[in-house]
Amino acid sequence: MDSPHLTATLEREARPVRRPVRRTRLWDLLLALPAAWIVVFFVSSMVIVVLLSFGRTQQDGQPVFGHRLTNYDALWDEVYLRLFLRSLTYAVATTLVCALIAYPVAYVIALYGGRFKNLLVAAIVVPFFASYLIRMYAWSAMLGDDGVVNSVIRKAHLGGGVSFLNTPYAVVGGLVYGYVVYMILPVYAALERMDRSLVEAGKDLYHSPLRTFWSVTLPATRAGLFGGMLLVFLPALGDFVSAQLLGGPDTYMIGNLIQQQFLEGQNWPLGSAMTVAMMIGLTVLMVGYLRATTTRRREA
Amino acid sequence: MTGLRRRTLLRSAALGAAAATAGCAYIPSDQQVHATLKRSAKAKVDGDLVYFNWADYLDPSVLKGFEKEYGVKIIQSNFDSMEGMYAKLQAGNQYDIVFPIAKWVVKLRQEGRLRAIDHAQLSNADQVFYSGSYFNDPWYDRGSRASVPFTVYKTGIAWRTDRVSAMTGSWRDLWNTEATKHIFTLDDQDEALAMGALLLGYNVNTAKPKELDAITKLLISQKKYLRAYSSDDVNDMARGDAWIHHMWSGDFMYLRTDIAKYQKLYDFEAPKEGVPINSDAYCIPADAPHPGTAMLFIDWLLRPENAIKNIDYLCYPFPVKDAVAHFEELAKDVPACNVDVTDLENPNVFRLLSTDAVHRRTAAWTDIKAS
Amino acid sequence: MAGVERRPRLASVVTVLFFAWLYAPIVAVVVFSFNSIRSLSTFGGVSTRWYASFFHDDSLIRSLLASIAIATVSAVGALVLGTMLALGLERISSRTGRAVGAVTLLPLVTPEIVTGVAALLFFHGLGLKLSLLTVTLAEITFSIAYVTVIVRGRLAAMSPEVEEAARDLGCTPWQAVRLVTLPTLVPALVGAGLLVFALVFDDFVLAFFTTGVDPQPLPVRIYSSIRFGVSPAINAVGTVVLAFSALLIVLALVAPRLLRRGGAGGLDLITGGERS
Repeated sequence: MDSPHLTATLEREARPVRRPVRRTRLWDLLLALPAAWIVVFFVSSMVIVVLLSFGRTQQDGQPVFGHRLTNYDALWDEVYLRLFLRSLTYAVATTLVCALIAYPVAYVIALYGGRFKNLLVAAIVVPFFASYLIRMYAWSAMLGDDGVVNSVIRKAHLGGGVSFLNTPYAVVGGLVYGYVVYMILPVYAALERMDRSLVEAGKDLYHSPLRTFWSVTLPATRAGLFGGMLLVFLPALGDFVSAQLLGGPDTYMIGNLIQQQFLEGQNWPLGSAMTVAMMIGLTVLMVGYLRATTTRRREA
Repeated sequence: MTGLRRRTLLRSAALGAAAATAGCAYIPSDQQVHATLKRSAKAKVDGDLVYFNWADYLDPSVLKGFEKEYGVKIIQSNFDSMEGMYAKLQAGNQYDIVFPIAKWVVKLRQEGRLRAIDHAQLSNADQVFYSGSYFNDPWYDRGSRASVPFTVYKTGIAWRTDRVSAMTGSWRDLWNTEATKHIFTLDDQDEALAMGALLLGYNVNTAKPKELDAITKLLISQKKYLRAYSSDDVNDMARGDAWIHHMWSGDFMYLRTDIAKYQKLYDFEAPKEGVPINSDAYCIPADAPHPGTAMLFIDWLLRPENAIKNIDYLCYPFPVKDAVAHFEELAKDVPACNVDVTDLENPNVFRLLSTDAVHRRTAAWTDIKAS
Repeated sequence: MAGVERRPRLASVVTVLFFAWLYAPIVAVVVFSFNSIRSLSTFGGVSTRWYASFFHDDSLIRSLLASIAIATVSAVGALVLGTMLALGLERISSRTGRAVGAVTLLPLVTPEIVTGVAALLFFHGLGLKLSLLTVTLAEITFSIAYVTVIVRGRLAAMSPEVEEAARDLGCTPWQAVRLVTLPTLVPALVGAGLLVFALVFDDFVLAFFTTGVDPQPLPVRIYSSIRFGVSPAINAVGTVVLAFSALLIVLALVAPRLLRRGGAGGLDLITGGERS
């Protein structure tokens, strides 16, 4: 996954201008079909979400368009703000933990994997094929109060056992487990692409592996790390499976809220309004974050 | 282009480009549905059976037996919620047999989505429609014209006898401080709200704002004792996380009979304030491609020996006359799990509510879970 | 490679622990697939009943096949569209081009639940019956950006001069792409395709909102059985699929190496480049 480019586009950085390629219609033609696809299936579906968020549900249960703000009025509640902040906290925690795990793993595989490199990368992807839900059930079975892990704890006289499940830690743990791969792959790709001679030069300059890492390796792979963080943060923020299977009474997330409106609630317009509100909150955060990071870089 | 079409186009354009591509699905039209009940089919093979049920909700050997007996295939699909089932029917997907919960029978019948089921076509009809049977005229389907009863169950409280010493026989047991952080409430809007309503003496279907507020307050007060909201009651108990679980009687029987190493560790009560009673039914959609096979299939499921197999597999009681004793035997140590006629004639059934009422109830449930 | 230096100890420990953690539930999945009782949390004894149950459960098998089909078609579809997009974006220099580029990356910065909700509303609005088709359309839309990002990375590393040279030699633009650019992209395309396949195969959220009923993709099918207790047969499914995918991946890694007899090495699954 080439996250330098992802990041570049996201940050809207001016890309180095290359020698202009000979003009031809081919590029326009190539662009036309996928762009049309995305406009039809993605952009227009987003427009429907926005339109429906001002709508209502008819007596026969059909959601219809309208022009009312009722759905948004319902969201002006401290409960929803707290819920959004909670989801945000979980997603940020997930992203940070993923980064702490993903970087060393990718580093060891990329730099010291030798001829097992590909095998190790494959070994990270393989568990994906045993569905996430199946693996979550397996975790639950092991971590239950009477599960394997607790019986080991008891046998080793380490205490009376721990209630792992149905806690915020379990939710974040489930999210990390589900999404850490999205971070490892881009970081690994960035490390692979990194110019090794830079590291050698850094060693000569700094005489310390740690300082070399801080001043050379990390900055060289920053884009990969950033891309990975985005790929973990976004799905984690909207996830509803982890909180449902591993959460407790106080771990309800924004994904659960939206899903509920579409299932039991049968209130698509309200669900749409929640979706739109979430996107607005997210956009504000991202723009703020990008602005903060770019100004800092400009100052540096 | 005619003026009419141009006008329609302009109106669509006003709703945005997306709406135009999206056709008319979201354009308001408060039209009434006029329901009629399509005539019953004859019970004879007219093709493979397209079957639509909860996952794993019948003994596979009973299904295999039917395929063998009649030389047809059963094409299985599953739904994960009644809303999901309804949406699929509404979207025009065709099935021969569906298994709705009682209140959804009301909705489907009201909207003319069901076919009549002529009891005379079913050789085992007397197993459920005998003289004096509640199901001759159940609350959800006058005269049982469009449905045949499938299972009946109640919602109560299960607990671990080794962890909890005293239960009071009231829904208040879900606040039992002996089991703080080991109590589970079902992650189900109707069941959770009904539990609160019964404690406060309201109707289980209440959608009155004042009463919903009181229920919301009550259930939020319960959160500090809760481990989680979960509908995975069997596994929650088996893993040892739950000491007290708001639970469906059928699931409890299943836990005790098939999973538990020591059956005596688990017990079940039906709280004195009253318990929700629910029933599932067999129905044939109006546009079923093979209603004849569906009739034969219902008849097959009513055979006592098949009902007994299903009871053993699901541990849910079936109101099939000659299979009732089998369930009573299974539940002899936990009679609270049994559902008898007096239970059925009970006001605590989940009724079909208006869209507004459902939205108010969802809002309350959302408040409870989100706070 | 500068392998002479000492490995960073802490990072190695983290890596070992990571793999243990990653595979712990896999062990449980395999063990529980041989459970003799119908439970996901209590082990009763050894039996193969859940394998028998899986092989006789048409609907479970159809769900598995549906997931494979969705993942395959999505991977191919996303590869075609994503590569076109990457070529177009990489070579076009206009302002419009860059604007288009930003729009096409939107699915990548949208939480999946939002995409799922939007797709549901869109298909419902079109009056399109929810089915494997709608799931596949949604998954392709979601995956295009992944392919584009990977392929663009490879394109950026390639100098456009080669293509130019081909044109100087009389190729039409399309011939230049077909004969020069695409062959160079093959490793990146294989890597992107495999990644999309894996992501779509395990995707739950998008599939949940866009699926019809028969058959449901495997993850949705498992989720739908939560209400009445998940059958341990899913562990048998998981074990079988794992065994197969592990076998295929090992083959994919080993086969090129064997063919080239210790030559330049296999495909690089992730960076999409050929290793030197």
